[in-house]
Amino acid sequence: MTVVRYVARKTIGWLVLIVVATNATFFLATWFLDPRSNYRDLRPVRTDEQIAHALEPYGLSPRWSVVHRWWYWLDGVVLRFDWGHSPTGVPVDSEIPQRVLVSGQLILLGTVASVVIGVALGVYTAGRQYGPVDRVSQALSIVLFNIPTAVSALALVLCAIWLNQRAGSTVLHVAGADTAGVDGTWATVLDRANHLVLPTLNLTLLGYAGWHLTQRALLLDTLNADFVRTARATGLTRAQAIRRHALRACLIPTATSVAFSIPAVFTGAIITETVFGWEGMGRYFTETIGQNNVDGVVAVAAFGAVATAAGAILSDVATVALDPRVRAS
Amino acid sequence: MTTTLAAGSLDGSSATPPPPLRLGRSRLYTRRFARNRPAVAGVVIFLLLVAYASVGARLTSWSWSAQDFLTLTQPPGGAHWLGTNQGGNDVFAQSVHGLQRSLVIALSVSVLTTVVSAAVGASAAYLGGRFERWTLALIHFLLVVPSFLVLALVSNRAGGDWRILILLLTLFGWMFTARVIWSVSTSLRERDYVLLAEFMGVPRWRIVARHIVPHLGALLIVNFTLGVVTTVLSETSLSFLGFGVKTPDVSLGSMLADGSATVSSAPWLFVTPAGLLVLLTVSLTLIGDGLRDALDPTSTAGSRR
Repeated sequence: MTVVRYVARKTIGWLVLIVVATNATFFLATWFLDPRSNYRDLRPVRTDEQIAHALEPYGLSPRWSVVHRWWYWLDGVVLRFDWGHSPTGVPVDSEIPQRVLVSGQLILLGTVASVVIGVALGVYTAGRQYGPVDRVSQALSIVLFNIPTAVSALALVLCAIWLNQRAGSTVLHVAGADTAGVDGTWATVLDRANHLVLPTLNLTLLGYAGWHLTQRALLLDTLNADFVRTARATGLTRAQAIRRHALRACLIPTATSVAFSIPAVFTGAIITETVFGWEGMGRYFTETIGQNNVDGVVAVAAFGAVATAAGAILSDVATVALDPRVRAS
Repeated sequence: MTTTLAAGSLDGSSATPPPPLRLGRSRLYTRRFARNRPAVAGVVIFLLLVAYASVGARLTSWSWSAQDFLTLTQPPGGAHWLGTNQGGNDVFAQSVHGLQRSLVIALSVSVLTTVVSAAVGASAAYLGGRFERWTLALIHFLLVVPSFLVLALVSNRAGGDWRILILLLTLFGWMFTARVIWSVSTSLRERDYVLLAEFMGVPRWRIVARHIVPHLGALLIVNFTLGVVTTVLSETSLSFLGFGVKTPDVSLGSMLADGSATVSSAPWLFVTPAGLLVLLTVSLTLIGDGLRDALDPTSTAGSRR
């Protein structure tokens, strides 16, 4: 019961933060994006009067005060869960659900795979400090950790194209989230999974390295701690002592930092989606900014904040589960 | 100080009288750093990159902004060493200019964020009270706000001016380091020499500047090098998406964006900026790690094993 209350309290705190961040983004976006420019290039040339008139039904009229526009937007979101319109009248709600699914699976798979692989590798190599595996994997991780997302994504595309040319058929799909015209449950699942491979691989390659390096360093600091020696003295083998005592202690800082890694993963997803042509929230982010779509930008910000909050709450739960000193109260 | 002398005598210099203390310490750091082979390799690569950026423009007759309409999308070789892009720009000349741009942005942002985060983090820890609470709240808020989105929004409006990009990256880049510096400084504020300074009536801002910040030296130097890496990465991402440095200006990120559409038909447009970027970030990380090991008094790395 206490855990439920603890999670509920944390969730409320995060909800407040999400609301504040989303509203702040609305003002920033209103300030820096000008929906009128979408109509300026139209022929015949529109007068300012006509443009303002065209934008009015979407609550973007420049004749309204910023507070008025904000109230209109907030009213829609709170009462009807209507996230507004693009300057040309496309409802934001029609774009979001599909895109959230696409980006959500990418971010979730990328984060989980990076953390699991990174931590496992960190544990494995910490036990074999300065061995050949340790040195090679560490050098690899240092390089991967420092590769810009765009570079690695494009390099993966290059490799996949080369592979496809060698095989003479499309082994790995390079663009899009699915192939048009694929029928049947299994065929669809397989097709989608195939499209997922490269983007997820990209996020994982860049993400795992950080977890590997920190987990290795953390575990190395703990290996010689007194409580681990005591555990060995009770008759546990070295592997058991590491797994049950040392690892448990030093998973705690890792668990807390998962939450703060979500914004970085999201940034990685923006670039990954751009390179691999996925129609997710990340692509939407670049499109909405390019098209002065105020409401769309705010929706992306809300998605980012929700993803961060979800990660933070999960990591809080993990911390409570791992650390006997933290009481869920 | 005793560690300095002990380490000096361990290195076999005990026969000669120990050098003056200051020199001894910097010598110790240099020696520790030089023993770390990856770090030395990092320095060499970084210096070569700086040389590439500073004298590269004199090696070629092409200018980065000049377009050669007779050779569009030409592979490397011939008059254009590294080929040309879709607009007929010389890739070598562009990469020199782009590396310069990326280096200037990354170095200045890192200097600025280090200064800001040291000032904010150390003052928050020393002054305490309401100032500390509000600063920490602000830091936590900025850490969870999707700062990349805000950066893209604002810098898109700024129209690709690299000086504004420097300001923006600084504005959204200081929080994490400030948080680290705050947590280290909270222990420094309890030190005796800080108490002594207080009893002597030294003003509070002066205590922060003269007694707390200097003791963060090692941390600040390491954070500076790693901050350069972070800035290069975010600048590349922004410019790649078209929100950072924009045409007519060129940075390594915008060159990557140029090459991204033709990655299989014209790979040289991608390989040059990608290679330079990876060399830059990896060399700086190696330097940063080497500095951390050399400056950390408890570090055993870099000693003979």
